[in-house]
Amino acid sequence: MLWYKSWRETRTTVLLGMAAMAMACVAICYYQQTMRDHADHPMTYAHYIWKSVYSSIGRDLFLILAVILGSGGLLQEKANGTSGFTLTLPVSRRGIVFSRALMGYCGVIAIAAVPVLVLPLASYWQGQMYPMEQTLRFALLWIGVGTVFYGFTFLLAHHIEGDYISVLVAIPSLMIYGVLLNLPWLARFRMLDIFDLINGDEMPFFDEARHVLTGPMPWFALVAIVLTSLAFVEIASRSVQRREF
Amino acid sequence: MILERVIQTANLTKEYGGFRAVDRLNCSVRSERITGFLGRNGAGKSSTIKMLLGMIRPTSGSGTVLGLRIDDAKESIEIRRRVAYVGEDKGLYGYMTVAQLVRFTRSFYTDWQPDVEKKLLAEYRLPPDRKVKALSKGMRTKLALLLALSRRPELLILDEPTEGLDPVSIEELLQTLVRAPMNGTTVFFSSHQLSEVERIADDILLIDRGVAVLDMPLEQIRENYRRISLGFTTAAPRLEALRGIETMRSDNRQVTILASSNADAIAQYARERGAVSVDVAPISLREIFLETVQERNRQDQQKHWEREDALV
Repeated sequence: MLWYKSWRETRTTVLLGMAAMAMACVAICYYQQTMRDHADHPMTYAHYIWKSVYSSIGRDLFLILAVILGSGGLLQEKANGTSGFTLTLPVSRRGIVFSRALMGYCGVIAIAAVPVLVLPLASYWQGQMYPMEQTLRFALLWIGVGTVFYGFTFLLAHHIEGDYISVLVAIPSLMIYGVLLNLPWLARFRMLDIFDLINGDEMPFFDEARHVLTGPMPWFALVAIVLTSLAFVEIASRSVQRREF
Repeated sequence: MILERVIQTANLTKEYGGFRAVDRLNCSVRSERITGFLGRNGAGKSSTIKMLLGMIRPTSGSGTVLGLRIDDAKESIEIRRRVAYVGEDKGLYGYMTVAQLVRFTRSFYTDWQPDVEKKLLAEYRLPPDRKVKALSKGMRTKLALLLALSRRPELLILDEPTEGLDPVSIEELLQTLVRAPMNGTTVFFSSHQLSEVERIADDILLIDRGVAVLDMPLEQIRENYRRISLGFTTAAPRLEALRGIETMRSDNRQVTILASSNADAIAQYARERGAVSVDVAPISLREIFLETVQERNRQDQQKHWEREDALV
């Protein structure tokens, strides 16, 4: 039943996030002609979708939602006065942390999965074609990178008390990470650039001319990112086990 | 096997930074009885309860609940499985409805009694479909109590259970608590309502600044504790600290003694020392509480002044 509790805590964010993502995708498809007509340079439909969904609005919305999902947990419960009830349930703190983390990962996957169906369907409705093979590939990139955004905020949320303080710390921290990636000695490691990895920009698996993902997916980088996220969750769990409530 | 002592602590200590909230606490709670856990705000009651339930770790010392070690993570889970607890803040998940929270809590315990749950839902008039955050403070307290009382735990720990309840609900709760030991449940509850404690408790554990200052059956307290008021015609002489004298206050020709035992011998001694009036009277738990705590305050104040003087 800890799953139920975690689901109830993340439900609003996940469902509203999925709805917002679906609306964003539909709106992007609906206004495609207008937007492309007003573009500085002629744009293919695939380019427009990549630029609008995978390189700006959709991606940004997804990452913000992943960060929001990462907030919460026992420290937020402490601030809300419910940690006493949770901690006197006959379960381990590790169980509490991991059920919450797993439910958050499910939320990240669910939101990332929205464009997989919505984009091809909305494109078809607009008389355009956007293959599901592409949306599936982008969804994998979103899930991979989304987990690390989620895991990082989750870690912060288990160290910093207060509602959404972790979100307020996570966003600038990730922005600083983005800036640090411009340092020459870090710029060499392209796969560390999760902001480019998530949309394929200037990545070997992305066709810059057609704006589609081609070739093998960066599995090694994705697995490394997911493992990093899991490590964040493990550190959060250990921190909670030591903490006094 | 029924344990004779469901809670036992040995030199249990909790420090927060430099502040010692619980100071080498030695106490035991007898099985199938009601123990009132008393103390001022900040006396260390909640810290003690939190240590017993594994929410915080003791700085030193040890303790067992139902024979299980409180500082062992696995045994602590088993403690929480067998103990029902209602916390001081009654913080429950506001986003769940009453029915959802009951279902959620029920899933963790094998000793849940659906008939008791139904009875309490009706008795407390808790609307099953209302969100917990929409309940009043009193209703939330009732819900917290329902979640604890719908089980048949071996030990029921309640931290200020009557806070926020109306008089009828307080009465119903006290009756429920009185019946609990008949079903094999030990009750350990903290309260500032001394009259309630006096009505239902079998044993009293009084702590002050983390130290147990009174740990005794209430019956024994009633039998033994006496207020002895002495009147002298001239300034009261210095009286020896005989066995049983807990506190002694002198005001020129009047001396007031709080005795925990030996009252007759103390009275006789006072007469021998020239007391012209000797009044030995029973004393309420409230008076014992106030006398004990205030005397400790006075002693501490005295020590403080002595230290200050020494520094000057």
